[in-house]
Amino acid sequence: MADHEATAHHHEHHHEDPQAHATRRAILQAAIGVSAGAAVLSTLWVGAGLVPREEKIPSKEPVAVGDVLVFATGPKAEQEITLDDLRAAQRERIPFIIAFPKSPENVVKKDLITNTIMVILADPAKMSPETRQHASPEGVLAYSAICKHLGCTVSLWQNDTWLCPCHGGRYDIYNQAKVVGGPVPAPVPQLPVKVEGGKVVVAGEFLGKPGADV
Amino acid sequence: MYQWLDDRLSIGKLYAKAFRKAFPVHHSFFLGEITLFSFVTLVLTGIFLTLNYEPSIRPVSGSLSGGQEVPAAYYSILYIDSLPFGAVIRSLHHWAAHIMIAAAFLHMLRIHLTGAYKNPRELNWIVGVFLLVLAIITAFTGYALPFDNYALTATKIGYEIGAAAPWVGKLLSDILFAGELSPTNTQTIPRLFPIHVLWLPLALIALIGVHLTIMIKQKHTQPKYAEKVAPGKIVGVPLFPQQAAMMGILFLVYIAVTTFIAGAFLAHPVQAFGPPTANTPAVKPDWYFMWIYGILQIIPANWRFEFLGATFGPQFWGGILVPTVIILGALAIPFLDYSKEKQRYLELPSQHPFRTSFVVGMLMFYIMSTLAGYKVDLGLSNGLLWVLVFIVPIVTGVVCYIIMKAIYGKDWNREPEIKLIGKGSAADD
Repeated sequence: MADHEATAHHHEHHHEDPQAHATRRAILQAAIGVSAGAAVLSTLWVGAGLVPREEKIPSKEPVAVGDVLVFATGPKAEQEITLDDLRAAQRERIPFIIAFPKSPENVVKKDLITNTIMVILADPAKMSPETRQHASPEGVLAYSAICKHLGCTVSLWQNDTWLCPCHGGRYDIYNQAKVVGGPVPAPVPQLPVKVEGGKVVVAGEFLGKPGADV
Repeated sequence: MYQWLDDRLSIGKLYAKAFRKAFPVHHSFFLGEITLFSFVTLVLTGIFLTLNYEPSIRPVSGSLSGGQEVPAAYYSILYIDSLPFGAVIRSLHHWAAHIMIAAAFLHMLRIHLTGAYKNPRELNWIVGVFLLVLAIITAFTGYALPFDNYALTATKIGYEIGAAAPWVGKLLSDILFAGELSPTNTQTIPRLFPIHVLWLPLALIALIGVHLTIMIKQKHTQPKYAEKVAPGKIVGVPLFPQQAAMMGILFLVYIAVTTFIAGAFLAHPVQAFGPPTANTPAVKPDWYFMWIYGILQIIPANWRFEFLGATFGPQFWGGILVPTVIILGALAIPFLDYSKEKQRYLELPSQHPFRTSFVVGMLMFYIMSTLAGYKVDLGLSNGLLWVLVFIVPIVTGVVCYIIMKAIYGKDWNREPEIKLIGKGSAADD
């Protein structure tokens, strides 16, 4: 009896209306397409969660006017840089100091890479007029320390030029960090500074965009 | 016992089918196996490392850091180094990665020089190229894990090179490193860790499986001598027991030698670099990245333009374009140099002067761009390095071609002289 039924069913299927068959196929195909599309979209939706979330915290704020420069590294880390410190550095192999800005609320803004700053005491007579304009009268000069090439901290000094250890980029600190060697596509921006009570204080925004130029 | 297992698993059939696979006997055929041994070593040492490593940069302090507050990842490396043989195992992990990439590269050279990538083995060549690239990426994702100043700086350069890819680079770099790579980004290590120890190794295992399956299915290309010994037949020793015995011995020798190297030359002493700071030490990449590092240094700074919101600067030319062109070139090789007939036997490099000269030229390019990595140290000028990196390899290739033509040119189409006892033909002279 079951056999009989199956045969009958098969028979019926065979003589089905071709129109109904095509409609059913179209509906099924549309359903498969919609499901596949929804699956792809929801995967992308979930995948978008891999993009890191930007957190707003005080230590990640960009450098601002009125910030005081503090040591970024070394035994004096997070202490305010004084004119005496800069004078002492002048006699070293590396004549500059790597600094972070500290806000008036005493937050060291060290969690934003582009807040890494190079500060040096240099002879104002050697500076170009534009450079001197944003330096302090004593000759305190500051630049973004993040190389425009691939984002290393420019940390070396050779033949009176500022040298990046990663790919040999060279900057002329007396002339708005003009690139004088290596593959660096642009100068690092200068940071206007002044000296107040022996401390180095930020006097203006970066004169360009800090960070690797990629 | 054997009968019991055979009843259930048909070991006899498996033996007849798989374990009798013929392996040609030639020392250059062991390069792929050395690559595989390195991978096994990396997995084994990696298991030890993962069990002791803490993928976090929360600040911790303890006796190992002299009471100084350091990132937990960094501290756990100090801890691993303090375990019995811990430093040796970590060093072995480091050296095995170097050897794996070197052996894979040499294996690829052997395939290239003997034309083994030709029909029908194009597919396995492509899988092989992806395996090498994937191995290098896997090695790179492990760089940052010790979280010392050197490791972080080297990884930062990779982050920015990734970001130099037009349009999507920054997004992809941010996804891989969970945001900008910095000494204080707490999400980076928890993201890199599973990628390095789980997902990329799984991808490698899958690709290695495909590579070996295709190799077994298609059989090895036969060395040239096989054509003389037994034309039209597969010559070699069976996987079991002969080849397995050789592999076992080679693996033990491999472990012995690499462990000795690892112990004698302890790799990457994190204490010497210290935890990450805002300052950048002078870093040099590992040798397999040194050529990119060299090219990055000689690309002129003013080669830069913007197009539809994307920047095409020196970082793009050196860090993205050159490696991409070389990878695409490698993938194209079996389609540029193909044979209609199925390739049964390896070709002699001496009979293919153009291909051999091309490989020699490429090797010279690799050596010269590596030399460019020492531009600042050696005080080399950009003009000289451009000649060395882009002209010298071409000259080398041409000279190599001329020399090969002069030496092998006369009997161009003659078979290599392999005289077999009892088969010498009088018609030869």
